[in-house]
Amino acid sequence: MSDPTRPIPEEDLHAWIDGQLAPERQAAVLRYLQEQPDVARRVDAWRDQREALRAAFAVVAAEPVPPRLELDRLIQQRLERRRLPWRAAASVLLAFGLGGVGGWFLRGGQAPPAAAITLLAQQAVANHVVYTADRRRPTELGAQQRDDLARWVSNRLNHQVAPPDLSADGYSYMGGRLAATPDGPAGLFMYDDPQGVRLTVFVLPLNAAATMPIQHVDFAHVDGCAWIDNSVGYTVVGKLPPPELRRIAELVRRQLG
Amino acid sequence: MTGSGVLTRIEACIPALRRYAAALLRNRDDADDLVHDCLVRALDKLHTRRDDADVRPWLFAIMHNLFISQLRRAKARPAGESLDETHESALSMRPDQENALQWRDLIRGLNALPVEQRSVILLVSVEDLSYADAANVLGVPIGTVMSRLARGRERLRQLTEEPEARPVLRRVK
Repeated sequence: MSDPTRPIPEEDLHAWIDGQLAPERQAAVLRYLQEQPDVARRVDAWRDQREALRAAFAVVAAEPVPPRLELDRLIQQRLERRRLPWRAAASVLLAFGLGGVGGWFLRGGQAPPAAAITLLAQQAVANHVVYTADRRRPTELGAQQRDDLARWVSNRLNHQVAPPDLSADGYSYMGGRLAATPDGPAGLFMYDDPQGVRLTVFVLPLNAAATMPIQHVDFAHVDGCAWIDNSVGYTVVGKLPPPELRRIAELVRRQLG
Repeated sequence: MTGSGVLTRIEACIPALRRYAAALLRNRDDADDLVHDCLVRALDKLHTRRDDADVRPWLFAIMHNLFISQLRRAKARPAGESLDETHESALSMRPDQENALQWRDLIRGLNALPVEQRSVILLVSVEDLSYADAANVLGVPIGTVMSRLARGRERLRQLTEEPEARPVLRRVK
């Protein structure tokens, strides 16, 4: 179908230079360039121009990225900006007695261990209640962005943590977010079972050095299991029978410990 | 569950975004401001995109749109036509005097092109975007990308090879 005497459209010449020409048209372009030295000279000039531009700006891409363009820093700034309304929400929770005085106790490590667990669990339950109730956007980053969330949360918590895998217990990972507490940022990972029952795993680094075994915590509407390993508090919260929660908590502890 | 998450892929594009911004704008600080705004916008819009989609054209599109609205805002201000420090500093990286002169002509020529042609040339030649991706970034049909590319390259060739041909280029069609 190709007529060898028909001039090649200019688009094909550029596509050839850019390596975007369909393979079946390359022979025709080469033949045309051999027959048309004037065109070939122009094509050579365009190709030289392309190479010269690449070389001229290569310097910029080879430079180290300046600190203000570092992604981790931008994420942090963005979270700080967005945390403000959430602080207001947290103060409402405090007013209802959910937040408690956990900040003071947990930070100073002054609370008796049992109280520290309760206060940790209160933060976890507050976040569980707020975010599992959100049907439209319960998580900040979804299951697809698991690695990003792990990196982001680890960065903010200054503690390496990744969403545990609870599929063995029938819970699939939905995603997660950074949560706010009076003690600073916490990681919240959300799961659901085939019936849509939602469960959260909450991770909050504590300043007090402590380790506490898994304990059952009982709130009005939900149950939880909380424990502390090497100054990091963990809580599993959900509307599940306590033995099942306990089994999941042990699974989480094995994975995150 | 990909080995590299979307943030890692965005991060990998930052050097190229800086390069494109530096080639578009006359001042390196302005260029990095544009990249900064682009990244902030991308983080805001992160949850709206499909995870498997290519982040590169998406980021370039965000940056291009910011650049265009910046141009509109700056329209009232007089445009500085002098050769900018950016490109001079890029040129000065090369010790070879003869090359440096050629490159200065090249950059001058590039800056003399209409911005539509300049951005197509840069996206395709320097950033290696496919014609289809460049069309998406610029929000124009692929045929428009092709014709801008062809016109821009030829005009740049004339400007660099035949500086005396400049008056010819000013003719009004």
